[in-house]
Amino acid sequence: MDFFDALHVSSSGLSAQRLRMNLISANLANMNTTRTKAGGPYRRKDPVFAALAPSRSQSHEASFREMLGNRQKEHLKEVAVVGIVEDSRPPIKKYDPMHPDADGNGYVAMPNINLMEEMVNMISATRSYEASVTAIKSAKDMALKALEIGQ
Amino acid sequence: MNEVTFTKGLESLNGNGPDIAARTKKAQNPESFGNMLARSLNDVNQLKLEAGEAVENLAAGKQKDIHATMIALEKADVAFQLLMQVRNKIISAYETVMRTQV
Repeated sequence: MDFFDALHVSSSGLSAQRLRMNLISANLANMNTTRTKAGGPYRRKDPVFAALAPSRSQSHEASFREMLGNRQKEHLKEVAVVGIVEDSRPPIKKYDPMHPDADGNGYVAMPNINLMEEMVNMISATRSYEASVTAIKSAKDMALKALEIGQ
Repeated sequence: MNEVTFTKGLESLNGNGPDIAARTKKAQNPESFGNMLARSLNDVNQLKLEAGEAVENLAAGKQKDIHATMIALEKADVAFQLLMQVRNKIISAYETVMRTQV
C-alpha cells in the first residue's frame, strides 16, 4: 500500500466515471433515435460497476513483505466496468403517422429516455469524477507534505 | 546487577559486545549508499520515461485517458521531488562536514 496505490485506485474511478459520462452522452444524443441495428428504437444504456482487487504480479517466490502487502491490498478495491446493460423499460408510443417508422396504427416507438434523469446522472458522474480528482490531489499533497519534513 | 548492565553497555559502546559483533558480521556486505542512490535515481528516471511515453501516447492518440497521462506525470513529479529532498539532505550533510574547523 504505497502512495501510488491511491493514485491507481482513483484512476480506475476516473476511468469508470468517464465511461459513464460517455454512455450518458450517447443516451442524450439518441433521445429521438428510432432505428438501431438490433431493430426498434434506441434503448438507454447504463454501466455496471464492480469492486475488484487490483491486478497484482504473481511473482514465483513472494517474500513475506510482498505477501503481507498483497494481503493488505485485498482490501483496496478498484472499480471496474463489468458490463453495460440496456434499460428494460418499454419504448414510448408516440402518435405520428407521417413518420417513416410508424406502425400500421400510426404509432412510432420512441426511446424511453427521460431528459431530467440523464441530466441528474450527468451531474452525478461529473461530481464523482471531481471527487476522484480531489482524492488524487489530496494523496499527492500528503506525499508532498511528507517531503516537507526534511526542510 | 546494575553494574553488569553498565559494563555490558560499555562493551557494546566499544563494539566488543556480542550483539554488536553479530550485527557487524551480518552487515559485512551491505549495499553501499552509492549503489542505493544510483538505484533510486534509476527508478525516478524510469517514472520520468513512463511519463514521457504517456504524453507521447496521448499526443499520438494511442492513449485516450487524459487522467492516466496526468497521473503518470504526477507520479514522476512526486518521485523527482523526493529525489531532490534526498539530494538536498546529502548536500547539506556534505556542507556541514566541510565547515569543520581545522
